[in-house]
Amino acid sequence: MNEFELLRNITIGQYLPADSYLHRLDPRAKILAAILVIAAVTFTPSLVGNACLLAAALALVRVGRIPLAYALRGLVPAVPLLVLLAVMQLLFFGRNYDPTSSVVFQWRWLAVTIVVTAAVLKLVVVSAARFIELLLVTSVFTLSTKTTELTLGIESLLRPFRRLRVPAHELALVVTIAVRFVPTLALEAERLMKAQASRGGRFGGGRWHFVTRVRQLLPILVPLVTYALRRGEELIVAMEARAYTGGTGRTAYTVLASGPGDWLAVCIAAAFLAAMLLAPFPA
Amino acid sequence: MQDAGRGALSIRGIVISAVLAAVAILLGATRVGFIPTPTGIAATIMHVPAIIGGVLEGPVVGAIIGTIFGVYSFFYATVPMFKDPIVAIAPRIFIGIFAAWTYWSLRRMSELWAIVLAAIVGTATNTVLVLGFGVARHYLPAKVAWVVGITHGIPEVVVAVILSVAVLLPWKRAHRGQARARV
Amino acid sequence: MTASHGVTSAVGARAATGRADEALIRVEDLWHTYMAGTPFAQAALRGVTMYVCPGEVVGVIGHTGSGKSTLIQYLNGLLRPSRGRVVVAGYEVGRSNSGIEAVRRLVGVAFQDPEDQVFEPLVGDDVAYGPRQLGLAVDELRARVRWAMEAVGLPFDAFKDRYTYTLSGGELRRTALAGVLAMRPRVLVLDEPTAGLDPVTRSDVRERLLTLCRRDGLTLVLVSHDMDEIAGLADRVYVLHAGAVVASGPPREVFARPDALAPYGLLPPYPTQVCMRLRARGIPVRGDALTIEEAGAAIAAALRATR
Repeated sequence: MNEFELLRNITIGQYLPADSYLHRLDPRAKILAAILVIAAVTFTPSLVGNACLLAAALALVRVGRIPLAYALRGLVPAVPLLVLLAVMQLLFFGRNYDPTSSVVFQWRWLAVTIVVTAAVLKLVVVSAARFIELLLVTSVFTLSTKTTELTLGIESLLRPFRRLRVPAHELALVVTIAVRFVPTLALEAERLMKAQASRGGRFGGGRWHFVTRVRQLLPILVPLVTYALRRGEELIVAMEARAYTGGTGRTAYTVLASGPGDWLAVCIAAAFLAAMLLAPFPA
Repeated sequence: MQDAGRGALSIRGIVISAVLAAVAILLGATRVGFIPTPTGIAATIMHVPAIIGGVLEGPVVGAIIGTIFGVYSFFYATVPMFKDPIVAIAPRIFIGIFAAWTYWSLRRMSELWAIVLAAIVGTATNTVLVLGFGVARHYLPAKVAWVVGITHGIPEVVVAVILSVAVLLPWKRAHRGQARARV
Repeated sequence: MTASHGVTSAVGARAATGRADEALIRVEDLWHTYMAGTPFAQAALRGVTMYVCPGEVVGVIGHTGSGKSTLIQYLNGLLRPSRGRVVVAGYEVGRSNSGIEAVRRLVGVAFQDPEDQVFEPLVGDDVAYGPRQLGLAVDELRARVRWAMEAVGLPFDAFKDRYTYTLSGGELRRTALAGVLAMRPRVLVLDEPTAGLDPVTRSDVRERLLTLCRRDGLTLVLVSHDMDEIAGLADRVYVLHAGAVVASGPPREVFARPDALAPYGLLPPYPTQVCMRLRARGIPVRGDALTIEEAGAAIAAALRATR
């Protein structure tokens, strides 16, 4: 029973330890493969393609040795939203969306006409399927990757772009500091909320009290952002005092090593993307 | 600001990007950043750190904060429209960039108005691009997008302006300004 | 208010300290576990029972990790009991939100770190935060802020427009205290109220707190790891160790039996220790001195007697 414990609600780096091919995968290969698979899902409009992608996403859950129910946690709260999305698409898109498509269903009452075409039906199915596929893929990725692996992978992947003046090491450091800083910030937010509640501050209130909620939130948000900036200034001084000079010539404690197994994953993902984009699926 | 023309990120740029990205993540993760409204769709203030970062340290920092926030919100989204990288990530990159440009072009006239307009432009960037990509990806009919844009865009702008001004003005005045308590 | 109200000296023995049946705050068999139901579960409170009577100064002593800070959060309803009871002025703190604001108004808590409590940019605005939530008129608001600031030794006109980040550590702590006092609580709970202050500021803050207690009938709960700090001020103390009360009573009684405290790594205040060692060497000094003044008097008396 605690109205102020924020830390408990934070889901960042929800690593689920397991011994699987995906867990062992080189983070660089995993990030690349994830990007390719996400691109494949994003740009596949066909029913057949999405059926393949759904099967592939389920296979990934299996390969990652992640309980399916766990990977689909996000689905239950999303069901009403999926229904809402489908209803909206069915009600509003009608003939405007692909006028050449055949009408499947038509209903008229006074001035209201609802037209459902085959194209809209397909859109409804593809939107829902795409959501479930992305939910599975992103869950598998976050559940099988430690945040440290993630930042190492990002740095390593960006390194070739140094020639284009992309600060690879610095960007990875941004991610590292941000991830480390979130729990600190959550504790500070908790302390601020408790101190204010002790002095008559109130939080919450229903959706009808928008203005009230904003007025309650500002005394938390303003000092929270200011605290973050102030801690930032301290960190800047600390880093400068230790003569931090950026990525060039820095050695790393962990060195990533990839084998053929890792690049196999990237190849499969790339092949999948190519197949989705190029295959002449009928529907 | 000094980094905008160079390739590298200064220590200041790195750290400010990181702490403000952490604020955005915290706001998203704890639902503090979502303010429920009567329509059932929450107004969001998670884009405000990108605006603040853009104003303080320039477009590069603003873009980094926006991108991290976008990637985070894509990975942890449970709303179909935001589980699409085109809607979740792409618009967020531009929030801080446009906010920074607005601030830069106006700050010689007035610090306050430069911050206010940066917040308006940054928020509008988020609202317009998210809804625009949402329509383009067929998550929303254009009519619904217009309605949502007005019913939510306006309160979001107001909250973003208040928050940005409340954080940035005292921060910028920290070592010179004069102010009076309200009592 | 009660028999203990008109106390003028913390040193002099009190005729009556609070009795449990007239308590303003009553904590009964309170348990608290952090991260309950996870592998990280950690018991912070294990069956704490205590009470605070009107006008009393109650000390809670314990090392870091003894559960002090957790206990404090129960006293004004920031935490709600899931096992045990907390009753504040007849209101039982439970799951319901109704009445919780009255509890928080009645019991003011100043937390350990003033940085977390002072959040407005200007001192005056920060002190005004609490009373402003009560919806007071401007005149009354200003009067309250002025009273609270003066009570902690911050001149209203000189400090109300100061930026909080330009304050010294002592001024910041006074501001945090004023912010709580401005709510006009009946009970003031202070977590390490003088930690990190220089000796002069420390005794000034201590004097001002005692004045509030005597003049305005404020009830004080002082929470500290520092025996010396609490011994001279408190009417009754509770010694907390690993989430349980291991000793309680008037400080003179509690510290009279150092053997009982030793297993918990707690030693009596230094003046008490000095007197006890002198007694152990056969010098007839009273052993129950709590403060440096009392110890001085006891030693002087012993010297006079032997001469």
